[in-house]
Amino acid sequence: MKKIFFVVVALLLIAAVGLPVFAAGQKEEEKGKKELTFAFVPGIADPFYYTMERGIREKAKELGVNIIVSEYPKSWGPEVQVPILEATAARGNIDLIMIAPTSVDALIAPLKKLYDQGIEIITVDTYLGDGDYSKPSEYSFPLAYIGTDNELGGKKVAEHLAKMLGYKGKVYINTTNPDVSSVMGRVKGFKEGIAEFPNMEVVGVDYNLDVQQKAQEQTLAALQAHPDIVGIFGTNLYSAQGAYQAVVQAGLTGAVKIASWDATEDLINALKEGKVDLVLAQKPAEIGALAVEWGYKYFKEGAKVPKKVIPGFEFFTRENVNDPEMQKYIYRK
Amino acid sequence: MQSLPLNKRMLIFVGKYWALMFLILETILFSFLSHGFLTLRGIQIIFFFGTAIFLLGTAETFVIITGGIDLSVGFIMGFASIVSAKIIVALANSGVSPAWSISIGVVLTMLIGLIPGYINGLLVARLRVPPFIATFSMLAVTHGVSELLIQGVPAKNLPYLANAIGNGYFIYIIPGKVVSFFNKPTASFRGETLLEIIPNVVVFSFILIGIFGFILKRTKFGQHTYAIGGNVDAAIRAGINVKRHLTLIYVISSFFATSAGIIYMLKYVTGKADAGAGFLLDSIVAVVIGGASLYGGKGTVGGTILGCLILAVLETGLRIMGVSTFDKYIAVGVILIFAVLIDQFFPELIHKGD
Repeated sequence: MKKIFFVVVALLLIAAVGLPVFAAGQKEEEKGKKELTFAFVPGIADPFYYTMERGIREKAKELGVNIIVSEYPKSWGPEVQVPILEATAARGNIDLIMIAPTSVDALIAPLKKLYDQGIEIITVDTYLGDGDYSKPSEYSFPLAYIGTDNELGGKKVAEHLAKMLGYKGKVYINTTNPDVSSVMGRVKGFKEGIAEFPNMEVVGVDYNLDVQQKAQEQTLAALQAHPDIVGIFGTNLYSAQGAYQAVVQAGLTGAVKIASWDATEDLINALKEGKVDLVLAQKPAEIGALAVEWGYKYFKEGAKVPKKVIPGFEFFTRENVNDPEMQKYIYRK
Repeated sequence: MQSLPLNKRMLIFVGKYWALMFLILETILFSFLSHGFLTLRGIQIIFFFGTAIFLLGTAETFVIITGGIDLSVGFIMGFASIVSAKIIVALANSGVSPAWSISIGVVLTMLIGLIPGYINGLLVARLRVPPFIATFSMLAVTHGVSELLIQGVPAKNLPYLANAIGNGYFIYIIPGKVVSFFNKPTASFRGETLLEIIPNVVVFSFILIGIFGFILKRTKFGQHTYAIGGNVDAAIRAGINVKRHLTLIYVISSFFATSAGIIYMLKYVTGKADAGAGFLLDSIVAVVIGGASLYGGKGTVGGTILGCLILAVLETGLRIMGVSTFDKYIAVGVILIFAVLIDQFFPELIHKGD
């Protein structure tokens, strides 16, 4: 048993060392025809990234770029995403990886390794380090960051919510994970926005780690601890969905205004039903399309890619939610 | 064995080597189905991401041979990832160099990580709490303590060096130019062929697994472990200090779980309470596929590694194909039942010729 086992392992290792040498030979030939292949590694299985995939596929079809979409991570975190990233890269012949890094630091080394092999990286939606790739650092190697200006968005949410609340009262934030650049930007912007109104105060921030159930429990607890909360900001769909369910459960619908991030169908329906009062819609399809477009320009035209590409966002309120113009901003696969 | 008819001998062969044959078949299948599977990179990915199951599987092997089970390994792993991250960050913030912070943090965590195992051992060996209950309670306690330590937010801000070690390789080769150990050579141009061979974490893991595999197979300690699992009363009559021995077994289990936690911290520069939660099932399945019996007295570290490889190849193979790994759970369940049935109904297939 043991001998056979070692023979097998030995053969595998020999094959492993031998094969790349052949593969390296082939690669040189294939470079000539130059058909571009981009890979997309999403952050988690949710409507935001499904919508981004749609944008990527549409643009790629238009430009004639091959697209590989990795498995969608079932939960948010580097320990789920890194194995998926590496397995996807192992398929070979990838020119560019579009990835939403699930951690500002844990993804640096794995992505740098791929970069060193000659693969270009664009981070979409979330970024590495502090997101500033323009000055040299351990994480400045990606071509670009393409995503929403989360701080600005958070600030605008604060302004809209403050207006709804008559510029006074206590507000509470439910968010996902302090390790994620995008939601932290939203929290920061929101706090800054609220700070401009002297009669308003942020009474707490909770982290639900992308678990809706946890968001619901935390919001209920916050409502218990501070019965005078009048507004809640849920920084992504899990946070917002959990928060509005908690408010419904506590029988406070209408009395507590809820601002949410991400225009999922669930949140848009909740807006129509009066359970949610404000929804910020990012433009995931546009983010995806821009990533493909800049990648294409970089390879085909040698274009210089801006280190930061920032598409805008839209606000859904009960007044405009049925506008035909707005329907295209709802996240759909 | 020579006197048996051919078909019977074939059956015994299948019974004994089915796991190995399954692994080979699986490997061949994926080599055809998924482009990039049978490459240096593909195979190293299997080992790199398999380290957690390799280590937890080895932990579980020792316990299962004695007829017990350790349900706490997954959350001891999470506990260790948090403790190590906290210590290293605290040291680094107080001005200690990253290299020293990491070394001290790892050593301290290895020591702290023995405590849950020691308590498990005391409960099982001295106070006669069934292993299932004792380690299940420890699962809850370590989970709770971990969450308390981090207040529900993953431990972060580790020095970059941790990430570099956790994702680094043992040997680097630029063909025809450089061969370097541990230190990544700077390529003269980007995209130059750089062979990276054997990830550091795989080296660390297999040194530990090798040492303890040897102990189990070749030493008196190992013999006593099998003796206790085979028949406790006989072991006591033979003069084995069963209480002390069992306690040590749970400490060893905890030691491996702690190592897995530290490796998790190095790979992902994160300390998380549920870091190892998903690996408990896989590690027990691997041990059973590897030929161990949940009734005790049987099992080898080599067999467990084989079991781990079956799971790791399956998962990585599906991933490289780009297929959802949900199917993996179904396959794991079916393989497990298959392994237990073979053990249950055809013991003669496995033990003839031992």
